[in-house]
Amino acid sequence: MGRLRALFEDFGRLIFFAGEALAWVVRPPFRPELVLTQMAAVGVGSTFIVATTGFFTGMVLGLQVYYAMRQFGAEGYVGGSVALSLARELAPVLTALMVIGRSGSAIATEIGTMRVTEQIDAMDTMAVNPIHYLVVPRFLAAVAMFPLLTMLFNVMGYLGGYLMGIYVLAIPAGPFIEHTRTLVETVDVTHGLTKSLVFGAVVAVITTYRGFSATGGARGVGEGTTRAVVMSSIAILVVDYVMTLGAVGAGR
Amino acid sequence: MLLGRGGESVIEVKDLHKSFGGNHVLRGISLTVERGTTYVVLGGSGSGKTVLMKHVIGLLRPDQGTVFVDGVEIPKLEGRQLTEARRMFGMVFQGAALFDSMTVFENVAFPLKERQRSIRAAELRRRVVEKLKVVDLEEDVLNKFPSELSGGMRKGTCSARAVVHEPKVILYDEPTTGLDPITTAYVDDMILQAKRRLGVTSMVISHDIASAFKVADHLAVLYDGGIAAQGTPEEVRRSEHPFVQRYLSMWFEKQ
Repeated sequence: MGRLRALFEDFGRLIFFAGEALAWVVRPPFRPELVLTQMAAVGVGSTFIVATTGFFTGMVLGLQVYYAMRQFGAEGYVGGSVALSLARELAPVLTALMVIGRSGSAIATEIGTMRVTEQIDAMDTMAVNPIHYLVVPRFLAAVAMFPLLTMLFNVMGYLGGYLMGIYVLAIPAGPFIEHTRTLVETVDVTHGLTKSLVFGAVVAVITTYRGFSATGGARGVGEGTTRAVVMSSIAILVVDYVMTLGAVGAGR
Repeated sequence: MLLGRGGESVIEVKDLHKSFGGNHVLRGISLTVERGTTYVVLGGSGSGKTVLMKHVIGLLRPDQGTVFVDGVEIPKLEGRQLTEARRMFGMVFQGAALFDSMTVFENVAFPLKERQRSIRAAELRRRVVEKLKVVDLEEDVLNKFPSELSGGMRKGTCSARAVVHEPKVILYDEPTTGLDPITTAYVDDMILQAKRRLGVTSMVISHDIASAFKVADHLAVLYDGGIAAQGTPEEVRRSEHPFVQRYLSMWFEKQ
């Protein structure tokens, strides 16, 4: 019972933390140089891992879909199916999970270390709001970079699927591309990108919150980082389900 | 004696009470710090001295009693007003709490830059160098990162950062805890120099008796949430409170 209560209390604090962060986003002074630094860390730094993951996911997806489609002679639909799965589901979710592992953990560790070495208290006593200075730039960077990385995942994934389909599975390029055009609409891509935007916000809030609530020493920071990764990964899957339900229910 | 300097009080703590759960940490603390003097609060761990300091800077709110700093009643402030009021303070942390992703220059410049975003680069540099001189640090440390500094230099940088915006009050949180004797002497000097060169009012919380008697104009010994003795170092030394006698004898016997 006590643990359950602690869990809800923690969740409540997270919501307040998110509210405070959002309130600070619109208040000056704005710190574009910090946002840019974080965009480089979260975004540019993640391009390699996201591109690689996207490429291999596309190739594997091509193979698996081919295996299924061949059973009723619909090999031409491989391209469309790959693109649709990527755009609506796999690109936003896998990108988020990869970036959590790479940048989310780094954010939680950095802020957690600043917390336990009193750097955050120091900021407070210098009349600089730590949420404004530390959370807002990371939040904006994640919200901006998650959709961009997701789009990169889409492109690399489709490229992987295309190379697999045309050169390995010998599917004719004509129907491969033609069926992609008929199956995938703009709304599918924007649905995936909208998801990734929300994922960016969720990941930024959870990882910074975990950093802020770190206690003790190195061990506390480590635990905070673990919890940040676990909590944001689960949150991504839950939010993804809810958003998909909303979109499919609305016929999109 | 308390009004010996024709003193004008900068910090006034009045009958401060604070409990956490059933734990009554502060039981009616009153003290006055005069302008341009150093006040040391001595006490063992768990005596409530950190809690007292957090009330002064407005990180905690009292259950009863109040705190005035330069005429401003700190517990009554909220949000933006509290943020404004914090500008009266500079704080030196036990572990220095330097931003480890920034150089010494960026660290010391941080409070200034955040306050006056339009400040010119030359002016910023002049003021940073000037404050580093106060703690006897030269320009060659400007581009170093905190991890490249010795313990004493880190403390010095932290002090320079605390005074760079010319605060009315400097708070020192256990400035000499865990330092070797030479660095301790350096930090003691630093506190004295900050007072002499900048005329600033300081409050130090510490359990280092030797250092306390060296830097204090006035001091208080905290015991069990109350003040067991306070006054000039000489007055505290002559106190007949049994805890104070026992506490101080441990150190004076070593001399």
